[in-house]
Amino acid sequence: MNAQAFKTLVTRELWEHRSLVWAPVVTAVLLVVGTMLSAQGTGSVQIDLDGRESSFFMALSSDPKVSGELFGVWTSSLIIPQAFVGFLVIFFYLLDCLYAERKDRSILFWKSLPVSDEATVLSKGLTALIVVPVWVWLLSLVSGLLVFGIVAMKVSGTPLAPLGEFHPFVWLTTQVVLLQNLLLAALWYAPIVGYLLVASAFAPRSPLVWTILPPVLLVTAEKIVFNTSLVGGFIAHRLSGFFEHFGGMLLREGDQVASPAAAAVIGDAYQGLSAVSVLTEADLWLGLPVAAVLFWGAARLRRWRDAG
Amino acid sequence: MNAPVIKARGLRKAYGSKPYGKSVIALDGVDFTVGAGRIVGLMGPNGAGKTTALKAILGLTPFEGELQVLGRDPRVSRDQLMNDVCFIADVAVLPKWLRVRNAIDYVAGVHPRFDRAKAADVLARTEVRRDSRIGELSKGMITQLHLALIMAIDARLLVLDEPTLGLDLLYRRTFYEALLNDYFDHETTILVTTHQVEEVEHLLTDVLLINHGRIVLDAAVDQLPNRFVQLVTTAAQLPAARALKPIYERELFGRHALIYDGCDPAELQPLGELRTPSIADLFVASMQGVRQ
Repeated sequence: MNAQAFKTLVTRELWEHRSLVWAPVVTAVLLVVGTMLSAQGTGSVQIDLDGRESSFFMALSSDPKVSGELFGVWTSSLIIPQAFVGFLVIFFYLLDCLYAERKDRSILFWKSLPVSDEATVLSKGLTALIVVPVWVWLLSLVSGLLVFGIVAMKVSGTPLAPLGEFHPFVWLTTQVVLLQNLLLAALWYAPIVGYLLVASAFAPRSPLVWTILPPVLLVTAEKIVFNTSLVGGFIAHRLSGFFEHFGGMLLREGDQVASPAAAAVIGDAYQGLSAVSVLTEADLWLGLPVAAVLFWGAARLRRWRDAG
Repeated sequence: MNAPVIKARGLRKAYGSKPYGKSVIALDGVDFTVGAGRIVGLMGPNGAGKTTALKAILGLTPFEGELQVLGRDPRVSRDQLMNDVCFIADVAVLPKWLRVRNAIDYVAGVHPRFDRAKAADVLARTEVRRDSRIGELSKGMITQLHLALIMAIDARLLVLDEPTLGLDLLYRRTFYEALLNDYFDHETTILVTTHQVEEVEHLLTDVLLINHGRIVLDAAVDQLPNRFVQLVTTAAQLPAARALKPIYERELFGRHALIYDGCDPAELQPLGELRTPSIADLFVASMQGVRQ
């Protein structure tokens, strides 16, 4: 299997699951159009200036560091809705990708070509872990710039003008950090993706049920038999552990977002290369062999499962 | 070139062999050999084991026994094998969401021996439009597309499993004509399963008849006249004809047709009219045996 053939496999995934490509685009367009409309609709930017907020914006305009950090936060936080949509389409893609081909028997066509089951499963896993996240990142980069442009035009000449100042270094840093976090997330979530691939390759019908039922049954059985929740804790850690590392740095408990101090914390979180704390996490590396086994298992299931 | 393309020894496959469940034997110790450049019809009634045999050959199902396809074990190296083997399961397996041009792009992308220009050429002679999704094409057009893809691959073995199922007569006829005229080059081996025996019998070089998981006839078509003879006779001659141990017998408008395997035609000559039975006749004979 050469690089060209593997690229064809990934492209095939995007032909079949067009929502992987278009749902993030639609989200990005909605964000930009939404900003445009709200900028158009309101005659001016309305901010209720009670005492705290006025001091906040005072600090913003006087302290270039704070304004740069805030800039970094709000241009990059646009990725959150886009990443959420990306997460949803990836989840349903994974449920479907090894199930639909058995259901419509097209697996017999795919298997009539010299492509191994391992390469097929890998192409699907990497589409979910790398290709779509990078696509979402690219779109958020573009839509972030557009939204920034719209806001900058709107606030120019007002007391909020500092919000419209572009900080190239901050921008570049936050984009690199975001991309790096997406790639780290790919490593962290690889076992989850592997599990979904196995469920999709195994499910006799309704892959969603076959995905959710086993962990629910395990957790319930453990609760009844041992009155413990180790399995649940384990799954929860795998699902949210990645955000615990980053979320902890994003918002400290008790901090008010609308304060210069919080803005500084947030800004630091994005600017500091937070990868280090995850890379030293043993769970990240322990997850990878598990992911490899699950990917292999999905390939074995695809290899021998009867397509009727 | 003389090495067999497919060699099966003691090929066996049982489904659902659970402790309490009923196990169904799909292939019951099958032996056969397919030589290079042959066009072999693997025929049998529904449930005879045809599709299971094909799935074993294509590495789609595990099995017991020994099976070599182009010198490889399909259980171990299905994907490498597919460099040299093409197969059309049936027309329904091309995914509906795929566009015609993407189907060509895909095969061109993954198959090292795919000739894109040739596929385009074959397709240009049909009404299949490149921008169509497969779901928008008629069944006949999907077959034309699949055939165009297959014909552009320089394969050593082509496996067809009921390729014309559900097609109208016109497409069925052109399918085999295209296959024979444009594809078959006396080096490629073709293995075709069908229960439409009449449709393929004129193009086969060999027949493999299978029933209840066993091979009931394995012969070269050009050897059939030497081996089988059909006698059409009257009721008066019937006892004498029966004494020569026909393998099959049926009554047609008051006359009796009996098929013999390895019987001297000189002995039959006085009893009535002799001819070589068609493959369809042999098919029915092998499946039903003597009906008294």
